[in-house]
Amino acid sequence: MFAFLLRRLGWAVLTIWIVYSVTFFLMRSVPGGPFDGERQLPEEVERNLLEKYNLNDPVHIQYFNGIRDIVVNPIGEKFGPSIRLADYNVDEVIAQGFPVSASLGIFAMVFALLLGMTSGVISAIKRNSALDVGFMAVATLGISVPSFVLASVAVIVFVFWIPIFPAAGWGQLSQILLPALCLGAPFAGYIARLTRTGMLEVLGQDYIRTAYAKGLATRRVVVRHALRGAILPVVSYLGPAVAGILTGSLIVERIFYLPGMGSHFIEAALQRDYPLAMGMVLVYTCLLYVMNTLVDISYGVIDPRVKVE
Amino acid sequence: MSQPLLQVENLGVCFHTDNGTVNAVNGVSFQLEAGETLGIVGESGSGKSVTNLAIMGLIPSPPGEITSGEVRFRGEDLLTMNNRQIREIRGNKIAMIFQDPMTALNPFLTVEEQLTEVTQLHLGHSRGEARTHAIDMLEKVGIPAASRRIDEYPHQFSGGMRQRVMIAMALSCKPDILIADEPTTALDVTIQAQILELMSELQQQEGTAIIFITHDLGVVANTCHRVMVMYAGKPVEKATTREIFANPHHPYTLGLLNSALRWDESHGGMLRAIPGQPPDLTRLGNGCAFAPRCEFCIDECKSVVPSLVSLDTDSPESDSSDTENSDASASREHACIRDLPSLRKSEVDA
Amino acid sequence: MSDVSDNVELPNQPVPGTGKRDLEYYAQILEEARSIKGTSLWQDAWKQLKRNRAAMVSLVFLVLLAVLAFFTPLLPLQSPIYQDIEQRQLSAPSLSAVRLYPESIFENDEQLPELSDASKIASRKQEILVSTLWNNPGTISQWLIKMRLSIFGTWSLPSLCGTDNLGRDVLSRVFWGARVSIIVGIVATFVSLLIGVSYGAISGFMGGKVDNIMMRIVDVIYSVPFIFVVIFMITIVKEDQIAEVLEKWGIDQIKVFFIMIGMIYWLTMARVVRGQVISLKNEQFVEAARAIGASPTRIIFKHLIPNVMGIVIVYLTLTIPAVMRFEAFLSFLGLGVEAPDVSWGLLVNEGIQVITPIKTYGWLVLYPGLTLALTLFALSFLGDGLRDALDPKMKNK
Repeated sequence: MFAFLLRRLGWAVLTIWIVYSVTFFLMRSVPGGPFDGERQLPEEVERNLLEKYNLNDPVHIQYFNGIRDIVVNPIGEKFGPSIRLADYNVDEVIAQGFPVSASLGIFAMVFALLLGMTSGVISAIKRNSALDVGFMAVATLGISVPSFVLASVAVIVFVFWIPIFPAAGWGQLSQILLPALCLGAPFAGYIARLTRTGMLEVLGQDYIRTAYAKGLATRRVVVRHALRGAILPVVSYLGPAVAGILTGSLIVERIFYLPGMGSHFIEAALQRDYPLAMGMVLVYTCLLYVMNTLVDISYGVIDPRVKVE
Repeated sequence: MSQPLLQVENLGVCFHTDNGTVNAVNGVSFQLEAGETLGIVGESGSGKSVTNLAIMGLIPSPPGEITSGEVRFRGEDLLTMNNRQIREIRGNKIAMIFQDPMTALNPFLTVEEQLTEVTQLHLGHSRGEARTHAIDMLEKVGIPAASRRIDEYPHQFSGGMRQRVMIAMALSCKPDILIADEPTTALDVTIQAQILELMSELQQQEGTAIIFITHDLGVVANTCHRVMVMYAGKPVEKATTREIFANPHHPYTLGLLNSALRWDESHGGMLRAIPGQPPDLTRLGNGCAFAPRCEFCIDECKSVVPSLVSLDTDSPESDSSDTENSDASASREHACIRDLPSLRKSEVDA
Repeated sequence: MSDVSDNVELPNQPVPGTGKRDLEYYAQILEEARSIKGTSLWQDAWKQLKRNRAAMVSLVFLVLLAVLAFFTPLLPLQSPIYQDIEQRQLSAPSLSAVRLYPESIFENDEQLPELSDASKIASRKQEILVSTLWNNPGTISQWLIKMRLSIFGTWSLPSLCGTDNLGRDVLSRVFWGARVSIIVGIVATFVSLLIGVSYGAISGFMGGKVDNIMMRIVDVIYSVPFIFVVIFMITIVKEDQIAEVLEKWGIDQIKVFFIMIGMIYWLTMARVVRGQVISLKNEQFVEAARAIGASPTRIIFKHLIPNVMGIVIVYLTLTIPAVMRFEAFLSFLGLGVEAPDVSWGLLVNEGIQVITPIKTYGWLVLYPGLTLALTLFALSFLGDGLRDALDPKMKNK
């Protein structure tokens, strides 16, 4: 296990370095600086700005300094100042947005897992019944309707027409509920289908027949014998699911005006705030990597035949 | 006359598929006495497994349907029981072991978890009692270092070991009947011998009746007291093991015996397979189901469905007209309108 | 010339246990073998697919959509780009009759007053009309537009879906948007297919170290939230100076788009194809084919590729909707298709922008959103159906 984690760490470092290099290279490939725009800045100001963002140094020095800063500097100074939100370091912007996005994401994931797995299991047990068909149709709907369409329609219906939820802002439970539902919906659908397929496959296995032959009741067979095997495809899916939730949060935060990392990232992208964008890409990469590693580990925990290596 | 332990009467099972209704089992009747081993022999598709799954109530209900019959276990009809009642019987009074030990055990649970849940459920053991009992059973079936290995997972056992674990699991509650569905087919020949020996030892110790499903006549010769041969969902011959080997009455039985390889045969002869294919169970026509493949087939065979008739075993010269027998367990039955022994005799003479 | 029967003994021995002679016996076996009809994978799959009603309905819907999208310039729709802010801004869906344009569009034209020749005037007017209908239409589109003008004249369908905040007809924008969304979906998927299949096939074929390295690269890319990197790249590419450089090389915005999106989705395809190639390499039927003397080319084309095609098609059906959704996503964020081009994602974005607590102008979001959702829905069902049809384990279930 230790060797596994060590190796994972190694790959993490490699991955982050590659992402850093790619984004750095892309940033620097834009001719002119980030300050060439419609407004012509007085020379003094421009020089100060270039100094502030370390753009005076030769490229390779900038590159290595950047790496050094990320590795060595404490949190809060790793990424330097943001361009558009000039009073803040990128770190601070990320730190401010992170809790928002994290809670949104966690809520969405929990919702997706609960709803998805329950409906998937029920669908599998009552195969081809009205319940099954109904659940799967709704699941397909959830997958097909893109999250921004769903969120837009949800805003129109539940915020304006039937004012259940507040329109925007952050701080209370009611404000997180609708965005989390919209964010989690497609994943709930996917998980429902995966669970159903996984459960159906497991229920057709010989060892389930053995369990019934021992005189066990259906509920026990499903929960104790079938569930573990049926979950495996869902666990595998969690990796891509987290990635999807990260990207989905971009939309949801925008539509519901939530001050999370996602909206900052969009703004950064649209407004050419490269340091901020790059910092966020690196943080997202880290996050995803950690999640994927956790998923791999849990796979080994659930299935005793798998050796986590 | 005491009641047989298990009495199956005119059992019928069919499956509704996209391609039609498959009549998997078509009027099967047999009996099982306490302590005896009944072998059920037939090729794939003969209905032998389905018959036994029906006894246990394990036929999946949307495609499958029990169309007729009674299964009396100690006098009570299993087919009319509700779910709760039959669950008390399964694993407890009647246990079943399956063909492929690789897939029949749950790979996600330890052996201990799978063994203890049976006794905890049926015998009301506590966790500790169940564990002790389980270790005991494992030792009985010959698993070395049982107290350590009990915490391992099935994939850490070899095929033969896994089948032993299955046997231990099945016999945990000392059932009256053990149904063994081709338990050794997936195993090595040497392991096969070990498992058979184990089963026979356990039977002697506990007095369990065994229904042994197989297609291998060699196994039958070694382990069974009586044999029922099935074809196309019907029994075609029932007799004691000795009788069946010495003097088969049905052409299919004869075919099976002939196609078995014997060590005392000379080299260079051709393999004698039964020609043709097993019948399509969605389209069973008139007449004997075996007729298309039978070398003794005459015209009448194609239009008349032969019924199972019993022979008096005391008289070696028996004719094929019906003779009711009072002692059921010694009755010899077969379903052929022709008199095979005399036909064979005349062939040999010719 | 000697008779065959001189040297060869015709089979005529009795076959023990069957009561027949050799010839008769073998003839019977041959007859049995012949009576068992086999089907090819594709015939089987098609038969299976036909039984799946949802999949067939989806197929019909998608074909219809594709045809309509292709022939959109031919349809009697209003102009998707003509703005009429004064009179028709944000009007709700209605059935009132509409002309393709008011006469005023001819008044503003510079060239028209100078022309004296009647035919030149007519053709100039037609040019204006064509450019009202769409900006810079390609050759085929131009031809279709001209046909439309000659068949329908300037009659257009009323604004069944309302108009947007610049007075443009939503119905026609949905149709024209379909073209972009569908083309992006198909081409970008094709790009990812090309990259993915070649990458995966090579990796699987070569095996060993090459395979190892190639898959490691895939793993690394997989663990990166590639979408963010791509967004990053898109913003770079949209940078004016960079865009100019690319234009000089003949790569316009849309093509860049295809490539960017395609780059995200090739990973899964590569992995899957590689897996399939590896398992196929070791399959017994490959050995069997080699044993009867089949050449490597024959093995590749007759055996390996058909077996890979199945799984490729399955993943295609997963990728196309994912790509379409991603394009809509980008356009929604403002990072995708730009005005004056139209795509469904763009339309939903425009719809959301104008929402106020007082009026929600639901139709602006509803119609493009609904169309997008329906298309993805249909693709989903069709994909499911194809997967079921091509999976040999599902046969007769």
